[in-house]
This record gives sequence, structure tokens and C-alpha cells, in this order.
Amino acid sequence: MKSEVEIRQSLRQWISTKSKTVDVEKLQDSTRILEERIITSVQLMDLIMYLEFLMGKPVDVTQLKPGVFNTINSIYESFFENTPTSSSVSEVVKC
Amino acid sequence: MERIVNLAEKLSELSIANYNNPYLLFEWPENLDEDAWYFTPEYISIYGTSEFEQLTTADQKRLSLLEAVNFFSLNIHGEKSLMRGLTKRLYHNRPKEVSDYLHHFVGEENKHMSLFGKFCNRYLGKVYPSRAYEIPNELGEAEEDFLFFVKVVIFEELVDFYNLNMSDDERLHDLARGINQYHHNDEVRHISFGRTITRNLFNQLKPEWSEEKLFQIQAYILAYIESTWKEYYNPYVYNDMKFENAYALFETAWALDGTRAHRAKAGRKCYKYLLDAGMLIQEPEV
Repeated sequence: MKSEVEIRQSLRQWISTKSKTVDVEKLQDSTRILEERIITSVQLMDLIMYLEFLMGKPVDVTQLKPGVFNTINSIYESFFENTPTSSSVSEVVKC
Repeated sequence: MERIVNLAEKLSELSIANYNNPYLLFEWPENLDEDAWYFTPEYISIYGTSEFEQLTTADQKRLSLLEAVNFFSLNIHGEKSLMRGLTKRLYHNRPKEVSDYLHHFVGEENKHMSLFGKFCNRYLGKVYPSRAYEIPNELGEAEEDFLFFVKVVIFEELVDFYNLNMSDDERLHDLARGINQYHHNDEVRHISFGRTITRNLFNQLKPEWSEEKLFQIQAYILAYIESTWKEYYNPYVYNDMKFENAYALFETAWALDGTRAHRAKAGRKCYKYLLDAGMLIQEPEV
């Protein structure tokens, strides 16, 4: 199983890479990533595709609750808590 | 403002002159010919990958149908969002001539969506879902207006590259060519309107923006271009083709030199417009 620590690290790395304005070391899981313009709303589609990749299943955007993308904490809680995850990213293949 | 009024009047006249009934324009066979292309092979998102090369010609043609359905699906989602934005702007803060043209714009987009939806549902039994997720923003009305129209221009310019070239590709099934041609005929007017109104809005707003604000706007536009392009590389399609690792294939295809070159070529006209207007200061690296 990919651990919580690994998933959070993957999310921090992805957001930091996409942002180009914040170092991964400085990004906290409680940082408000949209409010602080670390990523923009148009990058959410890209983030959703990355979440599908990490989870190994599609995201139904019509079922998402407000605030789900506020922080890495809220993303983890919404998409990964109580959800089985793969032991290896390379094994995650199905939409 | 006078320029946009004149353009709106002229485009309304053209829309009326070119008005047609798309429901009578095409023949819709019960089943599609499996031995036909539905998307230009070189534009297929994984073209150039070993996965594409290893497919049989029959499977490449099957993939071309799925890529056509993905293309029409992303058009449906883009145009749904576009129609919401256009209807919000009807009879609001602009001369009546603009609203008159927006009615044509909305009507034409509605007809496009109907054709795309019919093709997707009839021949694949589904429209691929969108990953677009909108969140409320606190932008001022003028700034929101500009960002709405610049996104319209980018979306439609990229789509039109495909429409124009695929309508001319004699390898494609007549129905696929016809839908692309039909879409292109209307999009020419929409792009003309979008370009003019976007440039007007930008020229009004730019003097009010700080350097930091302008940088944020340019970063937003670049991010939108990247997100828009990624819709063309859909793991749902690869999954339907039974590729073993759909997301890895997305990453491989996206990073390929050949697909980068394709995106640069397909986006050239759009990027030139954005650069000339000062809405971008560098060509997107996508």
C-alpha cells in the first residue's frame, strides 16, 4: 500500500512543481493552495488527473464538495482517507 | 466600442446568411465503417509512441474513433461552459448589437453540441466525462470578463486547428469530415468576435494592472493553455483501448518530442495572437 506519508509527499511535490512559486520544503499540508495562489483554478483539472493517477480510479467531479481543494490536508481526507491505495504508482493503471 | 458594435452587426448578418439546419445535413449510418479513420492519424494523441506503432491498422482505426469521441466530448464540455458565460452576458453592460450577435453565437454552439453528442452516443454509447471543476472566484467583473473571453479564444483556436485540417483530410470518414467542416464554418465568426472583444478588454484593463497583476494574468493564461491541451490526452480513451497502463501512457505521450512539436504547430496562430497583444510574453512550453 502506498502510505499516507508517500501520498502527501507526492501531492506536495506535484503542487510545488506546478506552482513554480513555492519550494516543496516550504509547502505545508495546511497551506491554502488556491487562496494563496500557489496553484490556480485552471490547474485543478490537471490536479484531478494526477489524483486519478494516484488513486487508480476516475474522479467524478460532480460529486466533489466545496473546499475539497483548499489544502493538501483536505485533498488527502477527501480522496484517500479510507480508500485502498496501490503499493506502487506504476501499478495504478485503470481509470 | 464602435469597432465591436460594427463587428457584431456584420457577424450577425453572416450568421443569418449562413443559417442552416444541421439535423438535415448529415447521413448517420446505423453502424460506422470499421475500416475508416475518424481522426487524422498523425493527430492521435499517442501518435509516435511505441504503443501506437504496435497497434494493428484496424486497432489504430478503432483508436481514431475513440479520439474523435474524446475530441467531440471535450468540445461539448467546453461549449457548455462557453454557453453559460455567453448567456450571462446577454443584455448586460454592452450595446444591443452585441446581444444580438450573442444570440447567434449561443444558438450555433448549441447546434454543435447536439451534433457532437449524437455522434458520441450513437457510435460509442457515451460522452467522455469532464474533469473541469469550477470554484467561485472573487474577481472583478471586468477581469472575469477578460479571462472568460481569452479562454474562449484559446479553446476555439485550438479546436479550429483540428476542425480545419480534419475537414480537409480525405482519409477520414465523410461524417467525421463533415462535422469538422460544419464546426469550422461557424467557429471562424466566433473566433473573430472573441479576438476583438478580448483585445479590447485587455487594452482597457492593462493600464490599471500592476506588474505583479499582469504576471498573474499571464501565468493564468499559460496554465489554461496547458490544461486545455491535456484534455486531448485522455487516459479514459487509453483505458477503453485496453492499454495496460493508461496514465503512464498519458505521461509518455505528453512528454514526447513529436507531440510537443504538434502542440506548438497547432497552437502557433493562437500564441501569435496572444503574444502580439501582450497577453503573453513567452510562447507556452507545452
